[in-house]
Amino acid sequence: MALSKEKKVGIKSKRKLKTDAAVCHPLIKTSTIAGTYYGCSLASMYTAVAIPRVIPITHCGPGCNSKQTAIGSHAHQGPGYGGGVVTPSTNIGENEVVFGGQDKLRDLIASSFKVLDADLFVVLTGCIPTLIGDDVSSVVREFQEKGKNVVFADTGGFKGNNFIGHEQVIQAIIDQFVGNYDGDKELHTVNVFASFPFHDAFWKGNLVEIKRILQGIGLKVNILFGHESGGIAEWKDIPKAQFNLVISPWLGVNTAKHLQKKYNQPFLHIPVIPIGANETNRFLREISDFAGLDKEKTENFIKQQTDDYYTYLIYFNNFYSQYRMMGSPAKFAVVGDSAIALSVTKFLINQLGLIPTKQIITENPPEEFRNSIVEQFQQIDAEFSPQVEFWEDAYSVSKSLEDFDYGSDASPIILATYWEKDLAKKLHGTIIELSFPIQNGLVLSESIVGYKGAISLIEKIYSTAINYPSTMG
Amino acid sequence: MARKPINFKTTVVENREHRLGTITSWDGSASELAELSNYSLGDGSCSSKGRACQFCEQNSPFVQGSSCSESMVLCQLGYVRGAALVQHSPVGCAVSQAGLNTGFKLGLKRHYTIENEEYMMATSNLEESDMVFGGADKLRQAVTDVFERVHPKIIFISSSCATAIIGDDIDGVADELQEQLGIPVIPTHCEGFRSKHWTTGFDASQHAILRQIVQKPKKKQEDLVNVVHLFGSDVFTPMFKELNLRPNFAVDFGTVEGLQQLSEAACTVGFCYTLSSYLGAGLEQEFGVPEVHAPQPYGIEGTSAWLREIGRLTNREELVEKYIAKEIKRITPKIKEFKKKLKGVNGFVSTGSAYAHAIVEVLRELDIQVDGTLVFHHDPIYDSQDPRQDTLAHVINTTGDIPFFSVGNRQQFQFYQLLKRVKPDFIAVRHGGLASLASYVGVPALSLGDESSAIGFQGILNLGELIIETLARKRFSNDIAAHVKLPYTQWWLDQTDPYILAKNPGLIYEDDEDTIPVEVGRVPVQLEAM
Repeated sequence: MALSKEKKVGIKSKRKLKTDAAVCHPLIKTSTIAGTYYGCSLASMYTAVAIPRVIPITHCGPGCNSKQTAIGSHAHQGPGYGGGVVTPSTNIGENEVVFGGQDKLRDLIASSFKVLDADLFVVLTGCIPTLIGDDVSSVVREFQEKGKNVVFADTGGFKGNNFIGHEQVIQAIIDQFVGNYDGDKELHTVNVFASFPFHDAFWKGNLVEIKRILQGIGLKVNILFGHESGGIAEWKDIPKAQFNLVISPWLGVNTAKHLQKKYNQPFLHIPVIPIGANETNRFLREISDFAGLDKEKTENFIKQQTDDYYTYLIYFNNFYSQYRMMGSPAKFAVVGDSAIALSVTKFLINQLGLIPTKQIITENPPEEFRNSIVEQFQQIDAEFSPQVEFWEDAYSVSKSLEDFDYGSDASPIILATYWEKDLAKKLHGTIIELSFPIQNGLVLSESIVGYKGAISLIEKIYSTAINYPSTMG
Repeated sequence: MARKPINFKTTVVENREHRLGTITSWDGSASELAELSNYSLGDGSCSSKGRACQFCEQNSPFVQGSSCSESMVLCQLGYVRGAALVQHSPVGCAVSQAGLNTGFKLGLKRHYTIENEEYMMATSNLEESDMVFGGADKLRQAVTDVFERVHPKIIFISSSCATAIIGDDIDGVADELQEQLGIPVIPTHCEGFRSKHWTTGFDASQHAILRQIVQKPKKKQEDLVNVVHLFGSDVFTPMFKELNLRPNFAVDFGTVEGLQQLSEAACTVGFCYTLSSYLGAGLEQEFGVPEVHAPQPYGIEGTSAWLREIGRLTNREELVEKYIAKEIKRITPKIKEFKKKLKGVNGFVSTGSAYAHAIVEVLRELDIQVDGTLVFHHDPIYDSQDPRQDTLAHVINTTGDIPFFSVGNRQQFQFYQLLKRVKPDFIAVRHGGLASLASYVGVPALSLGDESSAIGFQGILNLGELIIETLARKRFSNDIAAHVKLPYTQWWLDQTDPYILAKNPGLIYEDDEDTIPVEVGRVPVQLEAM
């Protein structure tokens, strides 16, 4: 390939950002990422790991599994039954690059059935097989034709990030394993697509809370991921559900559309994962109406949860109303993927009355969803309009947050990631690591959504914020 | 025996398996392996040194994810103070940046207790279109961005599998940018698929340093000792102070100036020859800096021999003898106490190659029984080809044979049988993934995250204490062992030979009930109690 020596450096991104808020920033966006917020499409192996007794098989170089464990293990959550060093890999070497890796992959799949105890295997690809043109689907089909439980997701490494890979894995399982269905639908049963497993460190607790509240209003819930999922038996039931529920700004919408086409299933898209009683009540009522559930049962459940929630919140009032005695931070910034950023921003403004500054979205969402993401933020409150920006480079994120006038009362709460730790120090602010990558945190069952998660989130924020009183306190 | 000199004319380091005959799969006893390696023992059966011992090594069709050379470059060149590293790669190779950043800060604390030193690792973030049109422009962008953001003294470039396959000319771009920016821009060829073992990444890092950083010596610093280290605590400064010597760290946490002056030192040492082999031999070959050819600094014998060789090369024999005598006097009563407390304890070691040999020596110094060891690879020789560096022979000669000595690149599925064979009370590890399996079967792990804990005379006492702490954690491991379901089939758990699939790969195509498609709702197999 001829190298053009005249090509200038400082190349600006050719991407035209439609949202005004994002374009106004003086920092130039380049392709460089110093400080990553996501993995490559192969990291969606953890989507497979998140389903009980499903194990991924990766056709990739020798370092890929180990690296993507950064996602499976962030917040030290543990990489799961079939993740981490358990996951088989072809560990492609020079021999396969030259002569092809299909034979090695065939042996690996066959031996995985022998050695690993799984109900389903999901084969994923990294960069190398994509570049050398391995025909992975034909190798996998050999096993499928023998009746073995294995599917293939053509993730392709550099072809996208793990958000893109996530829906590829889901669709591969649906198309190749769940298969066709034209039987009856089961009333008041729902498939839930929420909380990106492993990437969202709170996924286990979040899914438990979401399942709990949906069951509370009378739904039978296919939660699909996590230890409360029935594994492949539950996935086989996907086509029978009355509808699909997508709870996120955009991740899962394409899957729901696919299911609509394939199984004639309607879907309800709720962009904001609810945190706190008001938001969760609104959420449950919307679902109850959509699904035709018993209104009385819904309202009873809501009343019970609401009473419980406000009991804690009223205890909290004693601290919160007087916290200014030692100076309570009034402003906050959020850095993270759109799902967490949006939900947390809405909760902090509406429930706690905190003032938003910048909300930085880090997962590189597809262009077609960006306007609606920004709109969601702008619709939160009449008085405060958060400044929304899209960045994938931690260096730029910190520079962007630094370049903001926080006023003289400047000790913002920064709900972000490990990358913003030094910045928080600079701004005399509090850092709460909520999004990937979390290094200073250990998450097991904690949730930050719904009723219970909201209280946990408050405890989490203020346990730390106490140590960083406002500069004007 | 004529040693083939290291070739510094190319930017591409020769793979470890080509230079040293490195293998990644073997099973037997330590003495058998030492003989076959034909380093200081042996009858010459594996007679062509430097070629892979192919009839010893069998590859299993089932293999779990390994690690890659590029990862090693990130934690070597990426950890040079005052430098920055650009990964010419898609974003996946960079997903571990946060963990590396944490490691860097921790390492700084262990060395100089400085918390916030500017540090940058960036990726050129290649995407699908770059695979078609080439990624050179993005590489230029990334290097320039890094230069403008943090003004490093040096920028390293690492290659990835993708960039090697599409054939990006990183050498050419590096040269161009070096001229443009006025700082060294140094490429390394470390793409994962190049070598069968990740340790080639250490060699690639050190090759870059020897080629483009180390300068012709301006003077001789007779009190300077090069120390090839990773991110453990600095135990060398206090130790060397007693000998009127100073350490010069390479590669991790070395400064650019320190690396430039590697050529001025009196000699080079390392904490593990797996890491330091290439750099030590290279400094001797190109700059005449003698490498210390002695056992590694572990246990009483190893440490004494190591110190004595340093003493000889730096004309400090008397100081060394004084120090050795003083230390032995200090630690002997404490070792006695530990031996009492640790009587009857059985340990299993599993780390990188030469370091495992070292840990076995220290454990046996405390009279801990070591019947089994797993090393992640085996280098039959090191780059110096000096038999005094035969660490495997040393541990056998000093402490006895290790009856169950296995080579495998951190495969968790094999670890189950390896532990079953010797039923240890604890394992000593350093890399992630094996300890969790051990814990699942009731065996707690001593995690040597700080590799310096085991070094030298003090290291023996440190390990004694750490082992007692580890054994206390047996309560946790025993408890969860009763509740965990391992991800392996009953067929695999029933096997006694962890290398059966390597020896008999046809087994994987034999039909039996474990390969019949699983029905929905099948009850998982129960864990067989160990």
